[in-house]
Amino acid sequence: MSLLDIRRVSKNFGSLVAVRDVSMTVESGELRAVIGPNGAGKTTFFNLISGLFRPSAGSIAFDGEDVTGVPAHRRVARGMARTFQITEIFPEISVLENVRISAEVAAGYRLRPWLGRRAAAEIRQRVEKILGLTGLVAKADRLVGELSHGDQRAAEIAMALALRPRLLLLDEPTAGMGDQETYEIAALIRRLHRDNKYTIVLIEHDMRVVFNLADRITVLDQGRLLAEGPPAAIAQNPAVQAAYLGEAA
Amino acid sequence: MRRSEILRGRLILLAIWAVLIGAPYWMPAIGGYTALGTRVLVLGLAAMSLNFLLGFTGVLSFGHAAYFGLGAYGAGLTLKLLAASTPLALLLGTLLGGIAGALLGALIVRRRGVYFAMVTIAFGQVFYFIAFRWNALTGGDDGLRGFARQPLHLGPVTIDILNNAEAFYYFVLACFAVVTAVMAFLLRSPFGHTLLAIRENERRARFLGIPVERHIWLAFTLSCFFISLAGALYAMLNNFADPRGLHYALSGDLVIMAVMGGMRSFWGPLLGAVVFVVLQDYLSSITTNWQSFIGLLFVLVVMFFPRGLLGFLQRRKAAA
Amino acid sequence: MTQLILFNITNGLITGAFYVLMALGLSLILNLSGVINFAHGGFLAIGGYLAYSLNPYLGFWGALLVSPLLTALLGLAIERGLIRRLYGRDPLYSLLLTFGLAFIFEDGTRFLWGAQGLPVSIPAFMAQPLSLDLFFITGYRLFMVGTVAVAVAGLFAFLRYTRIGVRIRAGTLDLETVSSLGVNIRALRSFNFAVGIFLAGLAGVLAGGQLGLEPTMGTGLLMPSFIAIIVGGVGSLPGTLLGGLLIGVAAGVTTVFFPSASEAVIYIMMAVVLLIRPRGLLGEEGLLT
Repeated sequence: MSLLDIRRVSKNFGSLVAVRDVSMTVESGELRAVIGPNGAGKTTFFNLISGLFRPSAGSIAFDGEDVTGVPAHRRVARGMARTFQITEIFPEISVLENVRISAEVAAGYRLRPWLGRRAAAEIRQRVEKILGLTGLVAKADRLVGELSHGDQRAAEIAMALALRPRLLLLDEPTAGMGDQETYEIAALIRRLHRDNKYTIVLIEHDMRVVFNLADRITVLDQGRLLAEGPPAAIAQNPAVQAAYLGEAA
Repeated sequence: MRRSEILRGRLILLAIWAVLIGAPYWMPAIGGYTALGTRVLVLGLAAMSLNFLLGFTGVLSFGHAAYFGLGAYGAGLTLKLLAASTPLALLLGTLLGGIAGALLGALIVRRRGVYFAMVTIAFGQVFYFIAFRWNALTGGDDGLRGFARQPLHLGPVTIDILNNAEAFYYFVLACFAVVTAVMAFLLRSPFGHTLLAIRENERRARFLGIPVERHIWLAFTLSCFFISLAGALYAMLNNFADPRGLHYALSGDLVIMAVMGGMRSFWGPLLGAVVFVVLQDYLSSITTNWQSFIGLLFVLVVMFFPRGLLGFLQRRKAAA
Repeated sequence: MTQLILFNITNGLITGAFYVLMALGLSLILNLSGVINFAHGGFLAIGGYLAYSLNPYLGFWGALLVSPLLTALLGLAIERGLIRRLYGRDPLYSLLLTFGLAFIFEDGTRFLWGAQGLPVSIPAFMAQPLSLDLFFITGYRLFMVGTVAVAVAGLFAFLRYTRIGVRIRAGTLDLETVSSLGVNIRALRSFNFAVGIFLAGLAGVLAGGQLGLEPTMGTGLLMPSFIAIIVGGVGSLPGTLLGGLLIGVAAGVTTVFFPSASEAVIYIMMAVVLLIRPRGLLGEEGLLT
């Protein structure tokens, strides 16, 4: 059974059809990239997966359960965590505190006025592990708002990881970054995927990033599914080339 | 956090408590008097309670005087009509304000920003009018008189907080210690962390799975309980409660105390209360136009010290 | 009995008219600038007192026109000098600022004109009741209601038919888009603020002629005006108009039956509206909430 099973979803805003009849399945442990030229409907598609929008037609199943009508914040509890294109963090508190809040909420402690020694130790361990994973140990006490763009994105990913997701959704993780930062974030995503076996779906505009990262690539164009396959096949696909060349021209 | 910072934090905490505990002894030397110290402590507690919501949850209530005043009337009426017991007065005063806060909080918790502020002011005034109009019970414009705090009986020991101003100061300080400890404790808990998350980025907090409205309501209610305890103490300080203790003008004073001291720091509002109360005491003794000077203080703080005294000092330190 | 009810409904309408003038000004400023102007009552008092001082030179009619204009100029100066710097910051700060200004205005009027009440003389022909049966309807009261009606109609026409008015309305709905169309938002907000203060000044002159002048005369109108805005729906000027008239009349009618509850009734109305229709009678969902 696939972890994520999207069947023939569509989304219209009034008369505008942003996503039309797209299906996609993602296996556990896979790194899937969704790409497409501007206006291809990537972001809308992504918001359908994370639950920000409800599809006009079609269904979405996560781990065998239908989640089509489940709102975004409830999908978090089921194991879907996402990051945003414009980084959404808690700017005026430290990196450690950002991650700790996530970990505490994920552990179901949000209303606890105190934590026992054991629970507190577990949270601390979990936070330390995630900070190590995302390379933020040295910056744990810095305010997130003061970090570089790349580190802020890493902190946001760390917050998502603290939610113990079974599926990690990344919305253009390298948007607006320079080469060095893009490289670092790409390396982080690869580590999470290869070494820590996270299942990841990311949408991305930058093709260079995805071809080196993804197991499989889904290409959208004008709201429709254009192609799907491993990176090598996608790179050779004439329809994909045409779509991107069309944009370049 | 580094060891040196932890040590520094503990030293500051120690200094704060040393100053507070020693106040009745050092204040007369610089021209203060014990009742002024008690007043600072009570209003400081009120400002810190408000700041639990304002500075640590990021929710702008401009009507908190109402719950302060309800605490005061609750305590006063208990002493006057029910029983001559200080602890009971404190308890019932706190319950009255806290429960009123819980009920109204449920009604307004979905509002945000300026609109939230406006609705909190308007609802706060409801209680002002009740106190103002219900002459038979509250004494109306003249205020509630004819009650006095009672000596404390702790088993065989009796502490005369009624006639001994120092003893009452220490009684208030003990209450202050308990409430601030509860606040500090809550702010360090997972629940307190969710409040910070809401303050920092409500949308993100929602996406973590925090039910934002419910947590804001809880913070609002807790803050109302804390501040009505301060109000109950205030009534016992003066042996008097009046409608001005419920008026939104006092809410404004409490907000400016929090902002002036530094609303991002736990102790900031206490510092703000010290400055505000002492300044008000001094200004009103030298000029009849002291209101303008208080108004000017508001303008100056907003224009030049928006982060408050402590925020300003921290900035200086960070820049150095 | 009928006469008593009519008397109080009339009173309610007149009070409501003041609420409307006050609340419309507050609402204009709140909608476009996100500022709750606590000093609005202070501006109202200044408008009244200026009319008192101008009366010997310009007469009633001259003062009625010039005094609100001068008040608006003062408002403009304060918006330019102080309030403008706070746009885009936490609304907490503009609230505190206008709160402090309210103190300064109230104390300042007391300092300049004294704490005792002062009368504003009105033309003699308007002071007489129209008839003995309807003793409570004086020419001045009719004139007040008429003036408020003209001012409100003028405001709505201005917002509907002039270019600046249309921009103000558009800015209320979506400031970013208006700004990206090349409209000077800073100038628009300044002007809008001045219009709001003009209405407060006008209310001050009219109220002075009816009730006399006191430094605190505006402060008492502030809370009912807030409630008018909340009841009518934040963001909606027609809502504010409706809210002001409704609570004025409700308070007037309640006076007949439960005199001591006349203030309470407007708070009850607010609570009911917030319970049943949180956005207010004519409010849009999501706007400024």
